[in-house]
Parts: sequence; structure tokens; C-alpha cells
Amino acid sequence: MNSSKHGGGMGGGMGGGGGMNACYVYPIDPAQVPALDPNPDMIFERGIYMNGSMTMDDGRNVTIWGFTDPAEGGGMGGGGMGGGGGMGGAFPSPPMRVRQGQVVQTRLTVDMMMYHTIHHHGIEPEFRSDGVGHISWDVNGTYTYQWRPAHAGTYFYHCHTNTVLHAEMGMYGALIVDPPEGPGRAFENGPSYDLEVIWAVDEIDSSWHTLSWDAGTCGGDVGLNILNPDYFIISGVDGNQSALTDPRVAVTMNMGQRLLIRYICAGYLPQQIRFGGLTAEVVASDERPLPQSFLTTQINAVSAERYDCIIQPTQAGIYTVEIDIRHWITGQVLGTCTYAHYSHVKRLSCNLKRTINGQSE
Amino acid sequence: MKRRDFLKASSAGFASTLLAGGGFLSWKSRAYATNVALTYYITHGWITQPDGVSVYFRGYSSSSNSLQVPGNSFVVQQGDTVTVTIHNRLTTTHSFKIDEIVDSGPIAGGSSTTVQFQPSTAGSYLFYDGHNEPYGRLVDLHGAMAVMPLGLDNRVYVGSPTFVQQKFWVFNQIDPVWHSNIRNRAIPSTPFTPRYFTINGLSGRPPGAPGHVDPAIDAMHDHETAVHGHVGDRTLLRMLNAGLATHAVHTHGNHMEWLTSNGQIRPVVWLKDIVPLDGNKGVADVIFPFEAPPDAWPPTSTGIYAMHLHDEMTQTAGGGLYMFGALTDIYFE
Repeated sequence: MNSSKHGGGMGGGMGGGGGMNACYVYPIDPAQVPALDPNPDMIFERGIYMNGSMTMDDGRNVTIWGFTDPAEGGGMGGGGMGGGGGMGGAFPSPPMRVRQGQVVQTRLTVDMMMYHTIHHHGIEPEFRSDGVGHISWDVNGTYTYQWRPAHAGTYFYHCHTNTVLHAEMGMYGALIVDPPEGPGRAFENGPSYDLEVIWAVDEIDSSWHTLSWDAGTCGGDVGLNILNPDYFIISGVDGNQSALTDPRVAVTMNMGQRLLIRYICAGYLPQQIRFGGLTAEVVASDERPLPQSFLTTQINAVSAERYDCIIQPTQAGIYTVEIDIRHWITGQVLGTCTYAHYSHVKRLSCNLKRTINGQSE
Repeated sequence: MKRRDFLKASSAGFASTLLAGGGFLSWKSRAYATNVALTYYITHGWITQPDGVSVYFRGYSSSSNSLQVPGNSFVVQQGDTVTVTIHNRLTTTHSFKIDEIVDSGPIAGGSSTTVQFQPSTAGSYLFYDGHNEPYGRLVDLHGAMAVMPLGLDNRVYVGSPTFVQQKFWVFNQIDPVWHSNIRNRAIPSTPFTPRYFTINGLSGRPPGAPGHVDPAIDAMHDHETAVHGHVGDRTLLRMLNAGLATHAVHTHGNHMEWLTSNGQIRPVVWLKDIVPLDGNKGVADVIFPFEAPPDAWPPTSTGIYAMHLHDEMTQTAGGGLYMFGALTDIYFE
């Protein structure tokens, strides 16, 4: 595939900074672009935004980047993880939802002077549809990825250009593949559910959120080896207070209903989710059914793992689910998200413990 | 064992030849145990990192005038009598240790020791400097040992899924401040803050970068690190983490069959595209099945796919340089 060190020609001035000096990004080689199926079952259009913002509970605005759905005027999507976000676009990015076996095309348009890709994490397509720049190319202009999901489950998509920065900046969204019979079952012939929620649990280091899209690509220490998060979020909602009432995170369910939790460890740091005394049946991970589902009250996860869990409360009451975000070296808990279930109403919150150089404040 | 000289480095007049380690020995099963003899030389030197910074390392090297990180990994069989002779060419005390199997005890500077053991349990093991833990291990005094089940050449343990080839992926994280402290015989007093991330002692060199395609430098093209195969070439990946950070190992192209974690056989095999690898000597065995990428349309059986750690800080070097960290590529040929 075409591969080259891109050394110039990039314009500046947009959110995300300029890019005159990006290195190790790889323009599309038209001669190597594969033909597309002329009759796809589903087409997703995605643009990008680099000027989003998220107002945290402490009143601070943090810059967010993400993908837009041009057909929806900037990208508020349904399906459970249509995020919030201020100007620019939704955060998390608009979800994709398809059915197992459909031929899908994702058309990414990058109309700014920069590069991005879409990697459909968990989808294993032809390599030029995998969205990994150094193996195929990064996108400036328009490129269409093609794939046909063989397995139902919980995926997500994210940018794979300067990934360490772009994914942390918020360039991700949920990707749900339903079984052939459609929503309502976790996978083909799998367990049923009545309602679902996507919890993409992530951490934000706001000191990274002033960098340009190509930060560090040509060398120089921009601090991308050190992640010291100061915000903890769930599906784009600040866990400090907002998640207590935000309907994008909170779930209302009745006794007897079966809730499918699509849990995505969307950050880079290890997490532990505890279901507040409720017992979850874990039925799948990384969109593969487990040979034997298991019952648990907690799950440890590392970056990008997904777990599909079914909860069916048998008793009304108040439950508190907690998600710890832990330091990747010391294991110290950096922040804890708590989630309360009041009778038939669930609420979520996050409490932050700042950690500076491994020491709690 | 194929070795490659890829860098001449010097420190205070000591010229060393750096050899990439972490490789795999071709190996055939036997119906009987035998004697295996190995020799390591504890040496030191400097390795230039992707951003041009030279960092001090120590290694279990294959000769007294080389520096090799990690040390040559090796494969034995259950019941073999393994004899390891370690010559400590430095002035500092070190050791050779495999948890639950062997511990040489202190090997004073300038001295030599021979240890002998008979591994009884199949699996993947880290050998490392257990003296003054974890510092010797972190400055790259480590390597990997595989113990094959008696008489089997295609299973991780009796009854495991089968494989047709195997590799070691030994990960480490490098804090140059700690390396400097250790060189100066000081206990590091700062939080461990890695700036470089390696797989089998190497890091990525993407297309266009100096050293790209050079198997002595580029983890994407080191034949002992990059994975090559055709559909059906089920590949066992023995993943060991000498460093302190928890990793999330992510393969593109295929989900992995997750067989073991920290020496324990998992009760059922999960298919995962992310497998956790604990810090501080974490171990996981997985099989990359080399099945046709399941979601390709139209179907295909060839292509190149990435393996990288999803704790993405590990994909950097010196605080930037994305793709110059712990990653490699998987080639469907």
C-alpha cells in the first residue's frame, strides 16, 4: 500500500489546530482502493468535527472531537448512545446500528486539512476497510469502508489516526450489530432483553484537549505517554453530578424486565464495574457469545473490552453500581462512578478522586 | 536462534553489540525428557530510542561483549533437566529467577552461577533478575521460557486447542529516569513514568521512518515478533509483561482464543479481540486462529492487520511519535 511520510501541505486554522507538519500519515492511494459492492444494505455517512465542547459539572468547557452524521445535521443519533455535546457534534459520536449479515458501507469525509480514519473496533474486514493508516491509509477527502458483520454484539468505532490522541479526544461512537431476528436478543438465538443501555465509560485528561490533531507525530514531547485524567464520563455525560439525572445514562425499568447493559471500557485505563449487589448474567464479550454465561456482581475490564450483561432485578429497591477507573501502573482508584437504582428508577453518578503523580489529594 | 546485530553502542569505553531477543527456538516434541543447557551473560549498554535518546539497559545476553534485550527466550519440555549458567559481567549483584521454579540467589558482580531445574508444569514463564526487585527486571534483565507438555508439540497444555506455530511477545515499559537511577545504584524515588514501550525489546517504525522494515529495529518487521501465516496457521502467542503497567492486547483481523491467564488455565476459551495482560509479570497465552477475516466483504483470506496495545499511551515514544511504541503487524499471506 502507499505509504509515505507526509511532510507538509496541511492547512491550519480549524479546531484541532493546524497541521502543516504532520508526519507518518498516509494519503489514499487511488490505485489500491478496492471496488465497492454496488448494492449495500446500509450506508453510514460520517464527517468530523474538531470544535466540539463538553461542559463539565464544574463549569469548565473541554474541547471534544468526534464524528458527525451529516444527514442528521451534525450528528445526534438514536440507539442508546446518541451523545450530548455542545457545538460541533454529538459526543459520543452518532451510533451505528446494523443487522448481522448486512453489507455495510461507512463513508467518511474529512473536508478539513487533516487526516482521520474510522476503525470499526471488533469488526474484522478486508484490511483496506480496517482504518489503520500505516497499513492502508488515512483519510483526507472521502473514503468508504465496507464490511459485513458476521456476529451480533456490542462494538464501537473510533478514529485510528494518531489514535492515542484522537480517541481520547472523543472520536468514538457505539456500533451495535443486531442478530438476524433484530433487536431484542443479544445475539443469534441468544438471550432476550426488554431494554438496553450503552455505558461507554471513559476518562478525560483535559491537559490533552488543547493539542492539535497531529500533535507529536513528528516527534517532540507532547505528553501522550502520561494520562492523568481529571474527568470521568459515561456515554458523554459527566459522572460527577449530571449523570445522576441524565436520561442518556439513567435507566428506568420495571420489575420483571430484562435490561441488557452494553458496557464498553472506552478509556485507556483499567476499570472495575460493580453492580451494586445486583447479579448480572454476562452473556458475551467482545461481541462473541461466551461458551458459558456466568453470574457476577463485578467485572474487571481493560481498554476497549466490551461486556454484554443482563440484569433482571427481582426486588425493587435502591442499588448503587460503581465503576472504578484505576491507574494503569499503581492500580490506585482514580475515580469512582456510582449508579443508584431507586425502586424502578436508576441513577448514575461519578465521584472523582484526583491523583497527582500517584498520590491522592 | 537467529540473532541480529543491529546497533553498536558504547558506554564509558565499553563497546557492546546489541542483539534483539525474545525469539523463538524451533523445537520438536519428544517422548522423553532430556538435558538442556543454556548460558547467559549479564551485560549492560545503551540503546537508542525512537526519539534519539540513549537509555541504559542491562540484559541476559548471549555473549559477554553484547547486550541483548530481552534475553533469548527458550522452549523446553516437561521433565527436562534445564541447566542455566549465568556469568555476571557487571559489578552489581543480580540473579536468575523463575517464579515457583528456580531462584539462583544473589550472583555477585564478576561471578558465575549455575542453576538446574526440572519444570513440571506446561506453560509460559518469565525469567528475570529477582535481586532487588523490580529494578533489574525493569531495565530488561528478563526473558521468557516455554514449557511444552511432554511429547506434544501443538498444545499449550494437555487438552488445549492446538496450534501450528508459536511466538513470544515480551512487553516492557521504560522510564529512562529509573534506568539512570538504577545504573547509578540509586533506588528510584520518582513515580514510574514510562516514556518508551517495547515488544521483544523493539518498537514500531512506521512507513517512512528511519529503520522501517529493518527487522533489527522495527517490531512490525522483526520476524520473531511480526506474525506471518496462511489461513489455518493457528499461532500461539505467549504474552508476558515484564513491566509494571497493565496492558490491553488488541489484535485486528481475528479474535484471539484466550487460553490462560497468569499461569491458570481458563475454564472455558473465550474469543476476544482484547486480552488483558497484567502488569508486574502478567502472562497470557492466546491462539491467533488465522481464520479468514470474518467480516470482510467480499470474503478474503489475505491482508495485513495490526496488533497493538489499546492502552494507547504505549503506542508512543518520548511523549509523542505515535506508532513508535509496542505494536507489530500480522500478515495473512
